[in-house]
Parts: sequence; structure tokens; C-alpha cells
Amino acid sequence: MIPVLLAAHLAGIVGASVAGYRSARAGLLVASIPPAITTIWALGQLNSAPQQAFYELHWVQGLGLSLRFSVDELALLMTILVSGIGVLVFFYSTGYFGSTAGPDARFPSSLLAFSGSMLGLVWADSVWTLFIFWEFTSITSFLLVGYKHVEDSVRIAARRALMITGAGGLSLLAGLLLLVRESNTTILDQISPATGTVGTVAAVLVLIGAATKSAQVPFHVWLPGAMAAPTPVSAYLHSATMVKAGVFLMAVMGPIFANAAVWKTVGAACGIASMLWGGIGALRHRDAKLMLAWGTVSQLGLLVTLFAIGSPKAVFAGIALLLAHALFKATLFLVVGEIDIRTGTRDIAELGGLWRAMPLTCAVATAAGLSMAGAPPLLGFMAKEAALEAVLGLAGAEQLVFSCAVILGSVLTVAYTTRFLITVFGPGPATVVSPPRLAMTAPAAVLSIAGIAGYIFVAAPNRLVSNAAIELNAAATYSLIAWPGLKTAFVVSLAILLVGSLLGLAISRQRVRPTPGSQGADWADAAIDGILTVAPSLTARIQHGSLPVYVVTMTAMAALATIPFLSEIPYLQLDLWNSLIEPFLAIVIVGSAIAGTFVGSRLGAALALGAVGLGMSALFVSYGAPDLALTQLLVETIIVVAFVLGLGRLRQSFPPVDTTWKAARIVIAGAGGIGVTLAIAAASTSPTGTPPLADVSEQAVEEGGGKNLVNVILTDLRALDTLGEVVVLATVAIGILALARINQTEVA
Amino acid sequence: MSIALLLTVGGLTTTGLYLITARSLSRIILGFSLLGHAAVLSLLIAGGSPRAAPIAGTAEQMSNPVPQALALTAIVISFGLTLFLLALAGRQQTLSGDDLVEDDLEDGRIANAQSSEEDL
Repeated sequence: MIPVLLAAHLAGIVGASVAGYRSARAGLLVASIPPAITTIWALGQLNSAPQQAFYELHWVQGLGLSLRFSVDELALLMTILVSGIGVLVFFYSTGYFGSTAGPDARFPSSLLAFSGSMLGLVWADSVWTLFIFWEFTSITSFLLVGYKHVEDSVRIAARRALMITGAGGLSLLAGLLLLVRESNTTILDQISPATGTVGTVAAVLVLIGAATKSAQVPFHVWLPGAMAAPTPVSAYLHSATMVKAGVFLMAVMGPIFANAAVWKTVGAACGIASMLWGGIGALRHRDAKLMLAWGTVSQLGLLVTLFAIGSPKAVFAGIALLLAHALFKATLFLVVGEIDIRTGTRDIAELGGLWRAMPLTCAVATAAGLSMAGAPPLLGFMAKEAALEAVLGLAGAEQLVFSCAVILGSVLTVAYTTRFLITVFGPGPATVVSPPRLAMTAPAAVLSIAGIAGYIFVAAPNRLVSNAAIELNAAATYSLIAWPGLKTAFVVSLAILLVGSLLGLAISRQRVRPTPGSQGADWADAAIDGILTVAPSLTARIQHGSLPVYVVTMTAMAALATIPFLSEIPYLQLDLWNSLIEPFLAIVIVGSAIAGTFVGSRLGAALALGAVGLGMSALFVSYGAPDLALTQLLVETIIVVAFVLGLGRLRQSFPPVDTTWKAARIVIAGAGGIGVTLAIAAASTSPTGTPPLADVSEQAVEEGGGKNLVNVILTDLRALDTLGEVVVLATVAIGILALARINQTEVA
Repeated sequence: MSIALLLTVGGLTTTGLYLITARSLSRIILGFSLLGHAAVLSLLIAGGSPRAAPIAGTAEQMSNPVPQALALTAIVISFGLTLFLLALAGRQQTLSGDDLVEDDLEDGRIANAQSSEEDL
């Protein structure tokens, strides 16, 4: 079923483009079909017995190069999120762009391309597959962030997102390659736990990849900028799914890096910093969408922290929060998009009072917001409860640090949630200018209700979460608890809600200050501009157009590469010569070659070349290769004749040699010559087998009907190669004819 | 393995490389020919020591015929290449009055765009 679903997404991209040319709405509806099929399939998998869907498409088997997919429990959970929310977002987009929107092929097809890439990423079972789809999501995200590409600021934001996530992708690739080298397999499930220095380096590299994708401090600067995308994209990519890819990666890689201390310390440091800084950011901004974006950084920080801790309970809580966050954060983004469309602003200074004008939307947002704050009776409450229990259950200093961080982060979460709900829906001046759009309200309502239903019918989310957790960590046999009773975690939870909402109330009463600029984003842009300045000047230096310099550069590099051969050559096994005629011929050949190199007249050079050829012929005779000798003689004669004929057009003497270059050219050519000599010496003294002379002789006589083995090989055993050679010569002949004709017409 | 042959390969490669870094196309052609000789000789050397000609049933110990077949192909192809380059040199002579290889125009444009900051 996996190839069918992926093919459906590919076909859907084409179909959405075609339909999008008629109208954006048609394109969006066509694009929603593949995610709908995928969602139905994934829900069906839930009910059937636990069996993993698997698919492998081989490319190069020996190198482990294959597209390999396997849908395990965690992947199934992610599939339901990616495709399920995908369907709702496509439906929502039809309302967002409105019935009057013109044709648009780009948006539906890129959004579907993202959806398919994300599925490939969560299904990936080999490091190559993982990396390829990881990059696909970065690229599709770039296209979607840059959707309104006519605005400068949008292009800059899109570029920032691409450069940061792209750089993280390279870091991830390096980490994966280290892992592959250590455990000698490219299959994710079979990679052995990393240890030692290599494990540490790989852990840091993979963490950088995860942190860039999941917008963790200090790489978080791209995410607020990505809010330049249309709101459906922000809801789908930059809150519910793509930014979860980094967290997903940490969940999958957690068992591999369980022994690397740096995984826990660096990962948790990153996560805690993001959790707190993101929370503060959400309290500072006045654009409702940016408040949510900073809140996403904060929530992702909590997720990263939980997966960095990696204890069974933390893993369980992480997955529960992953599910809950996707539901409530997507809802809130969808709500903000609707408010933006209907009131024409997202600035909280101009918003407020919407509970009266948009009561349904207000209810939907309140339910989602309470889930985000971790209040009962909602899915977010159970997830936050599990997270608190996980950090409170740690021991020693870890317990203190992680508990304080998570409690502080949760207080901030409650505070910015309160601020969001009060400033947008509470008392205020906003006026609604456009009529309600059901296509926008309904998807948000569905997701919000899912958060409530997940609490009431706790068995359904519990099955998803606990199965996925057990798969990652066999000891994670927990379940979601709807009403924990008066335990420590619950009391702490209530305290957080109380303190947080008071803090949020206090802050939302303050006068709204101007939006602070993001210095981090400025630095990131400056760095990217630096790259864009350095790269062309480097290119101009390396690729300046002089053929001789190219050849010299390549020769120098190739010569350096032959240095290792020095130790491979058995010097004592070398003879001075095979027969006495060899040194004599060697002197003739090399002497003629040197003479031809430095002689000033073209005729002299042609004659020297002929002398080299004759010397080679003689050498072939002494080497037991009469066919080669005959061919060489014939070829050399023709070349000398052709040279002399061609010289009629050319001047008698060569143009003067540029002396500034001469010394460098001689040195590099000498190095190249020595390098080739070393390589041939090493290769010829270490044969890997004996030539199959008897076989070739027998085959030649029986099948080819000839005794001259070289001839039979060329005309019979390898006849097709010879045919190719004839074709080459014929092509050359045609080319020469054409070139000669040009000359004649020019002259005429 | 014979040091004399190895040195021959080295000498041919060195002179060949020196010549193909020249500006004059006819020198480059000479260089290609010399490099072709070096390649053919390398193939033969890599195939084993010299023995009797590889004619079935004439000798116990024969030279390895496979590298010889490859070398023959190499000779013919480098022959074709040399003739083609000669024709190019003739054309260059007719068009520009000499057979010099000029710097690549497109690459030069990239370099200039950097210094003048106008294009790109």
C-alpha cells in the first residue's frame, strides 16, 4: 500500500496543478484526495492486528542504496496527524482563498508535495530515505513560505528558512554517515547504539539537524519569519507537522544515542532555552500569529527536552504532547487565519471583543487554548500531566533542573495563552468586516473537538500514544490518565494554571508596546548575505576561464592523490629492464618527446611525434604485441601526414611561450608524471589474479575460429565494442569534413 | 617490473601534461598524442610481463591478450581524437589568424560580474 499512497501523492500533485489552472478551489479539492485516502488507510491499520507495512525499492543493492519505508506505530501516529490535518487544511484553504480567488496551481500542488514528503519522512526506514525526504520538506517549506514572493520581506524570510534548515540537513547527513560507517548498515532499525567520540560527534550533528528543523534556540529565528506564509501553511507546516520532524528524529534516534551523554545535555539545554525564550517571545509580540509562532518554539522546546531526557516516562509524555500540540496549535492558527480574513488585522491592539461577533470561533479557540495551557478536561491536560510526572519522577539534580524548567515554561505557556485569548476575544474594539466562512470555521472546530473527545474517549489517543511509546522504549508502559486525583503533579499543575493565568492577565492589561525587532533574524540574514558575497568571488577565482590553469589545477590534485602509492610499491622486485632493447627504446621515445616539446617549429614537432610513434611500435614488438605494433605504425604514418598537410594552414613556428608560467607548468607536469609512474608501478606489481589465458585461447579457437587472440577478441568476442569504435571514427570523419567545409566557405 | 618502461611512461606523461597546458592548439594536440602513448603503455605494463605474441597454440607462455585488445582500441580512439583536434586547429587558424585557445567567455563573464557587480 505504501507505493500506492506515494504514487497517489505524485499523481495528486499533477492533478492539483491541472485543476488549479481552472480555479484554486478545484486544485485544493483535488489535492485533498491523496491525504484523505492516506488517513482512511492509516485509521484502518489501527483496527487491524499490529502489522508493519513495509516497502523497499532497490537502486544499488551492494551499497544499500534503496528507498525503504516501514510504517511502525510512531509512524502511524504521525501519518494520521500529517494526512488528517492535511485534509482539514486543504478544506480550510478553500475558505481562506475565498470563492472569488483566481486560478492557482502553485499553492495546492506545493502543499500536497509537502504532505507527501512528510509522509516519506515519517515512513523512512533507511538513512538515505530519511535524508532525502527531510530535504524535500525543507524545499517545499521554502516554496510555501515564499508563496507571496513579490514582497521583499517574504523572499528574505523564505531564504532564511531554507538556509537554516538546509544547513541543518547537511549536519544531519554528516551525523547519519558517521552512524552508517560505525554500524555498517543503512537501515535505521539496525543501527547499533553509538559510543565513544564518534557517538558524541554524531549525536551533536544529528541534534543540530533536529534543532534547525524544530526551530530550537539558537536556530529558531527562521520560524517567526516563516509566518510570512499564508496561514494554512503556518498551521500545517510550521506548527503541526514539519517542525515536528526534528522532534520525530529525536524520538527515533533516542535509543541510538542513549549512551551518548552529550545527547541529553546539549539536547536538554537547547530545549529548555527554547521553551523559556519562546514563552517570553510569545508574551512580547503583538501580532497574534507571531504570538502563536513563538509559542510553538516554546512547545517544541518542551518536546525536545522530553526526548532528550529519554526516560520511559519522558518518551511517553513526549509522544502524548506531540499529538496534543498538533491538534491545539493547528486549531489556533486556523482561528487566527479566520480572524485575519474577517477583521483584516492580526494586531492585538486593534483586536478584541470578538466573542460577541464570532462566538463559535471563540468557543473553538478557547477549547484549544485551554488544551495548550494544560487545563482539564482536555487532551493537552493529560499530556502536560504526563510531562510533569516525568520530570518530577527524575532523581537528584536532574529532578531539580528539569522540574523547575518545565514548571517555569508551563507558567509562561499559560500566561501567553491567557494573553492571546483575552486580547483577541475579550473586551475590545474589533469590528468584523466580512461574512462568516464555514469552510474556515469547520476544520478548526473538528480539530478542537478532537482535543475534547480525546479526553472523554481516552482509549483512542491512549492506544496511539502508548503503542508508539512502547515501540521506542519497551519500559514505557504507561497510559493517559483522565483524572489523576490529588497527586503532586496535579497540585503543581493547578498552581501553574493559577500563577500563569494571573501573569497573563496582568500582562494583557498593559498597554501594547510596539513589536520588538528580531536581532537573531538580522544576524542570520547578515550571515546569509556574507555567504552570497563570498561564494561568487570564490567562484570567480576558481572558475576564471583559463583552460591551462584548469588542467594544471586538476593535475596537481591528481598528483597529490598518488602519494599513498609510495608505500605500496615493492621496490626490490623491480627490474631495470625486461630485455636489453628496452632502455634503448626508452631513451629514443622520451628523448623524441622532449625534443618535440621544446622545438620551436611545427614541422619539427610533427617529426618528433612520428619518432615517438615509431619507438612505441618497436617497443610493442619487444613486448609480444605485433598487432599493436602494426596498428601504431599505420596510425603514426597517417598522423604525421595529416600534421604536415594541416601545417599548410598553420604558421611555421609556434607562438612564443609565456615564460612566467613556464616553470610552474614544468613542475606540475613533472609531478603528474611522477604520480602516474607511481600508480602504474603499484598497480602492475600487485596483480589481483592471473589472466585467463587458457580460457581465452579455447574460446577464440572454438567460437571465433581464429588463432590470433587479440584479433578474435576485437572482431568476435568484443565485436560490439569494436562496432562502437567504428562509429566513433565515422563521427570524427564527419566532424572533420564539416570543419574543413567551414574553412572553405570562410575563405571563399 | 621494468624500471625502463615505467620511466618511459613517466617521461611521456610529463611531456604530454606540459604540452596540454600550452595555449597553442597544435601543441595541445602533440600533448594528447603523447598522453595517449603513455596510456597505451600503462595498459600493457599492467597486463603483465612481456612474453610471446598471443597466437593460440604457438607458445606455452603468451602475453596477456586482453590489455592488448584494450590498447588497440585506445590507439585507434586517440588517433581519431588527434585528427579531429587538428581539424579544429585549422579552423581556429582560419577564423582568428592563429590557433590559440582563448579563455572561456562564459567563465570570464562570471568573474567580471563579481568585480563589476552589475550582472548576475
